[in-house]
Amino acid sequence: MAKESWLTQFPEMDRQDLTAIKKGLDGAYREFSRSYGEVIESFFDPLLYFLVWFEKLLLETPWWIVIIAVVGIVHLTARSVKLSIGVVLALCLIGYFGMWDNTMRTLSIITVCTLVSIGLGIPIGIMMARSNRVQAIISPILDIMQTMPAFVYLIPVVMLLGIGKIPGVIAVVIYAIPPVIRLTNLGIRLVDKEVLEAATAYGANKSQRLWGVQLPLAMPTIMAGINQTIMMALAMVVVASMIGVKGLGQPVLKSITNQYFTLGLFNGLAIVALAIIFDRVSQAYAKRTQRHLEGTH
Amino acid sequence: MKCLVGAVIVLFGMITSGQASEPCGKISIADMNWSSATLIANVDLFILEHGYGCDAELVPGDTMPTTISMMEKGEPDIAPELWSNSAREAIDKAVAEKRLRIAGSSLSDGGEEGFWVPEYMVKKDPSLATISGVIANAKLFEHPEDPSISGFFGCPAGWNCQTSTAHLFDALKLADAGFEMVDPGSSAGLAGSIAKAYERGESWFGYYWSPTAVLGKYKMVKVDFESGVDFDHFTTCTTQEECENPKATMYPPAPVHTITTEAFASKSPAAFEYLSRRSFKNAQMNTLLAWMEENQAEGDVAMEEFLNNYESTWMPWVSSEVAMKVKKALAEL
Repeated sequence: MAKESWLTQFPEMDRQDLTAIKKGLDGAYREFSRSYGEVIESFFDPLLYFLVWFEKLLLETPWWIVIIAVVGIVHLTARSVKLSIGVVLALCLIGYFGMWDNTMRTLSIITVCTLVSIGLGIPIGIMMARSNRVQAIISPILDIMQTMPAFVYLIPVVMLLGIGKIPGVIAVVIYAIPPVIRLTNLGIRLVDKEVLEAATAYGANKSQRLWGVQLPLAMPTIMAGINQTIMMALAMVVVASMIGVKGLGQPVLKSITNQYFTLGLFNGLAIVALAIIFDRVSQAYAKRTQRHLEGTH
Repeated sequence: MKCLVGAVIVLFGMITSGQASEPCGKISIADMNWSSATLIANVDLFILEHGYGCDAELVPGDTMPTTISMMEKGEPDIAPELWSNSAREAIDKAVAEKRLRIAGSSLSDGGEEGFWVPEYMVKKDPSLATISGVIANAKLFEHPEDPSISGFFGCPAGWNCQTSTAHLFDALKLADAGFEMVDPGSSAGLAGSIAKAYERGESWFGYYWSPTAVLGKYKMVKVDFESGVDFDHFTTCTTQEECENPKATMYPPAPVHTITTEAFASKSPAAFEYLSRRSFKNAQMNTLLAWMEENQAEGDVAMEEFLNNYESTWMPWVSSEVAMKVKKALAEL
């Protein structure tokens, strides 16, 4: 073999130095989790209690009450008989095929994840829209959140918070929050300058312009972002189950390791059904609010 | 021109036939996706390459896909660490049909499974080393999500051990003691939960297996079920999906084999002989795995560490002539 030189072989860092860096960072993280883990864990306790309570509520309520409640919400937001019938059918099929409990668990965690994502995402999107500097800082962070393979941050989160719902929620939110932030930012930035000028001319102050002009006009885009967030949260359910989140993800995992094709398909379809319910409801709701806006034009 | 092409073809033919006539030839070794198997695969790669003149390469593998591929396609040639319980019938059949050959035990103690608690808990209260002690102190083992009940960390979703863990959970009446089975979802989740508990000195009770880096790094005590090993019951009931009255039994050691294709075994008897002798003790493997994790070492680095520092272990596996060749190649690294 020819002698290796820096021309033929990339001049790599010394193996020992590399090991030292890896060991140092790992050690620092371990130290961090040892000293702050409990504090951080207790910070999330209220969320955990809410998650546990909400899951128990969904599981312990008789199935027909849950269906009535879900359809009630669907009908109030979407006002579509066809959609409501579809939801009843989908939920009944899920229950008939024995996936009711897991679907309720997934429903509870996805609802919480979506609410957290929207609650955090829209304000961040508004901040981004108002300042180019904030946008320059947050954009690359969003890129990381969307592309970093989930397991890279899942295991550190598990070391910090243990396995179960909280790390699951964190993982799902990290993955699902970027669309709502990006599209809130985009929607507000796309509002016509003339419209804003007109609002200023009528004497609207900053917050009046935001609530009365920018947000309503950006609503279709923001709703599209919320939609994407919900879809991504549901897609993440399987990955979250790898750190002990109960729900539809676990049977899917089981079917992957054992090649149980049908089991995987059924539970996958139940996830799809949930996604479609969430999607249609939020879209119908958005369309309804927009129609109302068009009427006042 | 034609003449030249002809010459090239003849030359090429000579080169390839020259390679084929080497004592061992081209072989592939399955590099399974867990640390101990990677280490063994790398050790085999180095020794077969430098000691036996094989043209060896590593190919990625996993228990079931590798077993099936070896049986059906005759590739890869060697599975260095196969937990054969999971595919026992298929392997037995393939051995009978002369498609596979069992070279020996990669882990002489066999794989060790059981329910474990951290050593520091047992030091504080020695009764926790037995299942009755654990049940009496069930309150200690807090469930990660619900403080009112106790948590038992089970086997990851979809793994074979899920069946046996569930049956033993019933047999030991852990549910009556207030335990709930927590599904960690993946082996990474299970290992993460041990690491978290250990770093903070918290309680932990659950299923794990050895040899693993986790048990090399975090000292755990295997809980005694006070039942002994009932091998027949374990194989006919505990590990089967349908098991009406599971009884308590400790896990018998799981056989861990080195398996080769029949073609390789008959082609290279010397190399096969090495594989049949190559075997690790669990304690030593745990130490090596902990070293790997400590130093973030990949299989090839760990192989160097092992061959350099554990000569008394590997020298007896090979003839002194081969050992010299391997040592010489090692010095050149």
